Amino acid sequence: MSELQVRVVSPDRVVFEGPAASLVAPAWDGKVGVLPGHAPMIALLGSGELSIDLPEGGSERFFVAGGVLKVEGDDLIILTEYGGTEAPEELPAGAQLDVGEILEAMESAG
Amino acid sequence: MAGSRDVKRRIKSVENTRQITRTMELVATSKLKRATDRVRAAAPYNDALASIVGSLNAPELAEKFPLLRRPERVERAAVLLLTANRGLAGGFNANLIKEARLLLERLAGEGIETALHIVGKKGIAYFRFRGYPIASTRVDIGDHPSMDDAESVIAGLRDEFAAGRTDAVHIVSSEFISATSTPPRVTHLLPIQGRSASGGLDNFILTPKAEIVLERLLPAYLRNSTYRALVENMAAEQGARRSAMKSATDNAGDVLEYLTRSYNRARQGQITQEIAEIVGGAAALE
Repeated sequence: MSELQVRVVSPDRVVFEGPAASLVAPAWDGKVGVLPGHAPMIALLGSGELSIDLPEGGSERFFVAGGVLKVEGDDLIILTEYGGTEAPEELPAGAQLDVGEILEAMESAG
Repeated sequence: MAGSRDVKRRIKSVENTRQITRTMELVATSKLKRATDRVRAAAPYNDALASIVGSLNAPELAEKFPLLRRPERVERAAVLLLTANRGLAGGFNANLIKEARLLLERLAGEGIETALHIVGKKGIAYFRFRGYPIASTRVDIGDHPSMDDAESVIAGLRDEFAAGRTDAVHIVSSEFISATSTPPRVTHLLPIQGRSASGGLDNFILTPKAEIVLERLLPAYLRNSTYRALVENMAAEQGARRSAMKSATDNAGDVLEYLTRSYNRARQGQITQEIAEIVGGAAALE
């Protein structure tokens, strides 16, 4: 089975880089799971736990806040405003996501 | 004795100069270290952001999104020149200014109206002295440019582009290849470069919606590119200053060696002369 090539990048460092069997990320409207062979996708991220299942078993967990996820082929990039093992005391300004506002914008755009 | 005293004074002054250039070299070295770390840390995020924005860069979105517009004819262009606030960095500022001048001339040659925005005292001083019209100036970017600095530098130009008052934004800054290789570079920030995903975008699942994703990503992308240019430019400045101060220190060493030699020769000549006088005097008494 093929593997995902995952890169998790925050503005000041590379949080995670390597192969993964699957991944669950906090999208703007709920959790999104990605397996190898996923259709190309770009999704806004909210904040919460990012869990990466490693190919040799076991998993890595991070806290991410804000940003975007892109899958193309088996390459997966997560750009996040904040990435670390712990939740920060205060989210960075760019990481705040107002779901209500997005839903409103979607409705008004039709 | 008069000759050797002069030489002595010059030796002292060259020693003082060498002390200063050596200190500046050390300061630049430590700042370079930190600046290089920042450049390295900023690169992966910037590359990843550029690749995502590249895949979203579709013509069909340009109509709805002013920041993605691709003017058919460029009539007005903004040039953002990043220079240092301080000199004594070898050809660093001069190279940037030259690159900016060439770019302005080329744009003018194509009949494009240009607006020059400058960050850094050295660039401002040059263009002001030449009487060149300057659209805006900034001198408050410190040794550690932040995201907020980048945002405040680019916000005005971004709005002008979105409103259609300017059709292109170019940044002239230094590329940081290594501490000794920092050539000037022109970045074409707007219109957004990269592969135009004609049709490619249809294959993407976009959630929540392309517009909403772009609305968040594009400003971040522009801010980040500017941040990267600022950080790289700072690292390049420190690298250039270190090289310049190192060669100044080495040169002072060479001058000192030469001066010390001529001082010793003058002193030796004087002693020889004194002995000759004593011997001559003693011979006259016999």
